[in-house]
Amino acid sequence: MTEAFVVAAPQETVPRRVSDALMARRGLFLLLLLAPPLLWLGVVYLGALFALLAQSFFSIDEYSGTIVYEPTLKTFSELLQPANFDIIVRTLVVSAVVTLLATAVAFPIAYYAWRYARGRVKALFYVAVMMPLWSSYLVKVYAWKLLLAKEGAVGWFMHAAGLSVVLDSWLAAPIVGGPSLSVSYTGMVLVFLYLWTPFMVLPVQAALERVPVSLIEASGDLGASPGQTFRNVVFPLALPGIVAGSIFTFSLTLGDYIVPQIVGPSSLILGQVVYTQQGTAGNLPLAAAFSVAPILIMGVFLTLAKRIGAFDAL
Amino acid sequence: MPPHSSPANSSAVTFRGVERHFGAVRAVDGVDLDIAPGEFFAMLGPSGSGKTTCLRLIAGFDQPTAGHIEIFGDTVEGVPAYRRPVNTVFQDYALFPHMNVLDNVCYSLMIRGMGKAERHKRGAEELKMVKLFGMEKRKPGELSGGQRQRVALARALVVRPKVLLLDEPLGALDLKLREDMQGELKTLQRSLGLTFVFVTHDQGEALSMADRVAVFNEGRIVQVGPPQDIYERPRSKFVADFVGGSNILDPDLVHVWTGVSSPASLRPEKVGLLAPGADCPTGSIVVEGHVDQALYHGAVNRIELVSLDGRRLLMTIPAAAPLPRQGELARAFFDRRSLHVMEDA
Repeated sequence: MTEAFVVAAPQETVPRRVSDALMARRGLFLLLLLAPPLLWLGVVYLGALFALLAQSFFSIDEYSGTIVYEPTLKTFSELLQPANFDIIVRTLVVSAVVTLLATAVAFPIAYYAWRYARGRVKALFYVAVMMPLWSSYLVKVYAWKLLLAKEGAVGWFMHAAGLSVVLDSWLAAPIVGGPSLSVSYTGMVLVFLYLWTPFMVLPVQAALERVPVSLIEASGDLGASPGQTFRNVVFPLALPGIVAGSIFTFSLTLGDYIVPQIVGPSSLILGQVVYTQQGTAGNLPLAAAFSVAPILIMGVFLTLAKRIGAFDAL
Repeated sequence: MPPHSSPANSSAVTFRGVERHFGAVRAVDGVDLDIAPGEFFAMLGPSGSGKTTCLRLIAGFDQPTAGHIEIFGDTVEGVPAYRRPVNTVFQDYALFPHMNVLDNVCYSLMIRGMGKAERHKRGAEELKMVKLFGMEKRKPGELSGGQRQRVALARALVVRPKVLLLDEPLGALDLKLREDMQGELKTLQRSLGLTFVFVTHDQGEALSMADRVAVFNEGRIVQVGPPQDIYERPRSKFVADFVGGSNILDPDLVHVWTGVSSPASLRPEKVGLLAPGADCPTGSIVVEGHVDQALYHGAVNRIELVSLDGRRLLMTIPAAAPLPRQGELARAFFDRRSLHVMEDA
């Protein structure tokens, strides 16, 4: 009477056997999955980096202009010559200022998106933050050059708003000033700030998104004013995001060689030096030695960030 | 007479005509409430009944659309949470993940500017009080749910708030831990003499811990009173059904038995099963019917009977008796006095 349903056992096909074998040996499976990316990272990326670092231990024969393939620290010592050291310090200061300003600009935007933006407004926020990344980097930089030029839109606006005095006195100031915004450090920092702000907003916002609103309520409940809550809860929890964003803004500024060529004063920035040394000057060892500087600086930066507990909330 | 001018208002928390609307939704729809100092007060209701919103109104996370709230005689409308003498144990505990246990507990002391040595001493005492030892340096992420709750409790109590609010305090714990914690919370509240207000959807929790229970439904308080009152004398079908579960008997049936034309509630445990051939005890009402469902629950059997005229009767009887078979003819009986006639439908 009763009819039994029999489900046929799966057939022993070759792909099946392979997948069974892989499932049984998890280590092998993992190795197969990870081998291609590890090879890419190991050989292409790290290999290239080490080749570059190796170059910095060679030196250049000053008369013939050829590379002497003998390990020496002579090239590194050249970095400490005042002219070269100035470039490193100048680049460091510009990167630090850009990073600080980017944090100041990005934090309120990220905070707003986290606390108040919902649904459609939030989608609009993402579009607005990302939109600058959609157009060509060069187009944006040249556009800024025009905006910041002496007869440009910024100058015109300041004049129309009766703020010419402010602009003129700013330009008359030492270091930050210059003949016009487009050939001043102020202009250079503004363009960097514009370019890298999205790279600060997104990680900060991502860090804030992970903070439950109940933590903010709990802080207030326990007697903390909004300012105290910000200092003791919101900021520490956003710090990993700020550090992540800083890595972007700092290292992107540190290595850029196009913006300072188009906007800013004639004094060189690290990226430009690397570019000219390995290009026109043909001094590959010095270019390599210069490239080590940002790596060391980032290393110090991350160590300090870890020391102050920036990653504790991760 | 406006409530804030009433002489010597002795309430810990007072609500007068409090409403909170979210758009067209009336989350809290005219709540009047007086919570006495030192009372363990439960706000019980299904989700969306407005109980949590009321808690947030006391804490100051939310402001009423209309009405008046006082905490120990002080009007608190417009007073932000950080200026209210009230602390909260959050449902998700809301411990600060970047601080260790001790710093979490000492947070409000730190905010008040107390020195490190002194506040750490106070914090350690507080952790002892909630029976958490040797965890001072751990991060909240390294604790179990029960331990986290103890930290949240210590953190909220460290400054001895006038009122402690607890939002579903035991909801995330497993059964055994929950039962232990019920007793501990009760003991703690008694020894500190503080006013505790807690929100729960678990009627067992409300009945076992609270001095008084307010039952919420659709933004209103439908009944408030001591647990025995709520359980024994539910005022409406909703309360009878939500708190403990009950047989709700139709007015016409109740009229036959009692002469009153109102619905009545009959608790399942008040109903017994009559052995075949046994005489009915005097003063009892007997209902004959078929067994529709009989389930073994460990301590009790839960039996659903469909009477000959098609009415359902739920009963829980000690599991010592054998479980009747489905479809079997059986006689249920209950004392006439077990019927609780309700005031309103």
